[in-house]
Amino acid sequence: MTAGWLRAVAVVLGVAALFAIPRVTGNEYVLALGVSFATFAVLSGGLNLVYGYTGLLSFAQVGFFGIGGYTAALLVTERGWSLWAGAAAGGVLAALVGLVVGYSSLRLSRHAFAIVSLSFALLCLIVARDWVSLTRGAMGIPGLPIPSMDLPGGLRWRLAQPADFYYLLMGFAVVAQAAIYLVVSSRLGRAMRAIKWNEPLAQSQGINPLSYKLLAIALSALLAGIVGGFFVFYLTIVDPSIFDFYYTETMLIMVIIGGPGSFWSVLAASAVLSALPDLLRFTTDLRMVLYGAVLIAAMLFFPGGVGGWLRRRRMRRWRRSGLAAR
Amino acid sequence: MTALLEVRGLTKRYLGLTAVDDVSLEVEAGAVLGLIGPNGSGKSTIVDCISGFQPANAGRWLLDGHELTGLPPHRIARAGLTRTFQAVRAYDELTLLQNLCVAAQESDGVGWLQALGRGSRLRRAEAGAEARGRDLLATVGLSEYAEAPAAILSYGQRKLLAIAASMMARPRLVVLDEPVAGVNPTMIRRIEQAIHKLNTEGVTLVIVEHNVDFIMSLCRRVIVLDAGRKIAEGPPALIRSDPGVLAAYLGQTRAAQLGPGLR
Repeated sequence: MTAGWLRAVAVVLGVAALFAIPRVTGNEYVLALGVSFATFAVLSGGLNLVYGYTGLLSFAQVGFFGIGGYTAALLVTERGWSLWAGAAAGGVLAALVGLVVGYSSLRLSRHAFAIVSLSFALLCLIVARDWVSLTRGAMGIPGLPIPSMDLPGGLRWRLAQPADFYYLLMGFAVVAQAAIYLVVSSRLGRAMRAIKWNEPLAQSQGINPLSYKLLAIALSALLAGIVGGFFVFYLTIVDPSIFDFYYTETMLIMVIIGGPGSFWSVLAASAVLSALPDLLRFTTDLRMVLYGAVLIAAMLFFPGGVGGWLRRRRMRRWRRSGLAAR
Repeated sequence: MTALLEVRGLTKRYLGLTAVDDVSLEVEAGAVLGLIGPNGSGKSTIVDCISGFQPANAGRWLLDGHELTGLPPHRIARAGLTRTFQAVRAYDELTLLQNLCVAAQESDGVGWLQALGRGSRLRRAEAGAEARGRDLLATVGLSEYAEAPAAILSYGQRKLLAIAASMMARPRLVVLDEPVAGVNPTMIRRIEQAIHKLNTEGVTLVIVEHNVDFIMSLCRRVIVLDAGRKIAEGPPALIRSDPGVLAAYLGQTRAAQLGPGLR
């Protein structure tokens, strides 16, 4: 009970601190780091749901991210939709595509899903580049307008300053993390982990693996699509590089270093690894070398990620408790 | 009296090999049926087929008159036929109690949105599962481990946990696939007592085993398989002296030398 209260207070203070940052500093560099953290936290949180909790290695997240970005950009510029509606539509479309990708491949095996998800991400890149009449090809859609959004209460919010996008993306990141936490801490999350650890056992207990896998994929795709819609308006451009492997690589590293299946550890890893390449900027030459060294050290000392290390420690304490079988 | 489980003409072929050849069997409600036979006689294949883990080539099976033929494993489990596995399976990182609650969560009628909303229906269902879980842990003698992760259990204790988990959703019939294979004699006694207790509480069981003494003490009716066919069926005493059964286990000549007096 007390531990739960302490955690709740810590979360409220943490969120309050994040929202206070733009008031303390108008430093655009700090705000850019915050936007990057918020975006990656949504992407890695979704990947953690699919890979860490449900056990499905997925390369498709970046595809959902880009689909959300393109959908929002096209609907706002060509159809005059608001950014709210455009991003929501992008999220819904991404979720539907996710269901198709998942349903078609998961009926075979989880390995088939990994391969299909990778092909899907590459296919997204090709479509964005070559379907010129829709996506304008390699040029992309530059000069996305400054969006304004209707707020409850009849106010209009014009997102003209970097701080505005900081608030938007950080706010959505909090909503997305809350949604993911709600699922993984419920018994739906328990069933997902059961499927990851031992699928036949779960099946023998009446759990339908396919429906839980599709739930995880659809939710992660929805969140990735929405954040993609917001993110391209922050960049003011969407082009095929939104499907770049860089995003996949970064969110995979965040989940693996954080520890697949550990909510808080992956969130913490997202924060640290969003900032790390920039913290290492004091030495431009060795920056990426040091980044690589940190990743290798993390894998050496925390093979199951930080979350896995914490879990193993807890397990060792149980083993020593005297209750363990002799 | 109609049978609780009825299997008719079950056949399973792997390429050229017929692992299960036109096997029919019935299990009465409240019974403990033993399924024995030498290695490769098709016992585990029958379990995998009727629990939906392997598609059968022919045959039908019904639980209390409801067709289970061709259903996927989770639908068969929800229909009331659960099973354990030869290689013990448990969720290592979950506590024993959570291991059991997972096994009940698909059968309590609480939907996804209710589970996310954490309302009173969910709380009542989970509290009910926990109470049943504690009862079952007491039955199999693992109460002191209720809050410990399953990873710390010994092999035999994991077998007991698996049996308890298979009972969580109040199934009509439970199939235990080799519940005492590789378990030490003391633990075999404990597993035997647990199964006996569960049966007296009304659970119908099918037990697949190599350990003939174990089967003989628990079952009033035994089916013997050899090379995918049913070669004998009856009470243990009769099975023990059946010449066909002796031949299957010992080979024709040796069985003839020993005669029907063999134990």
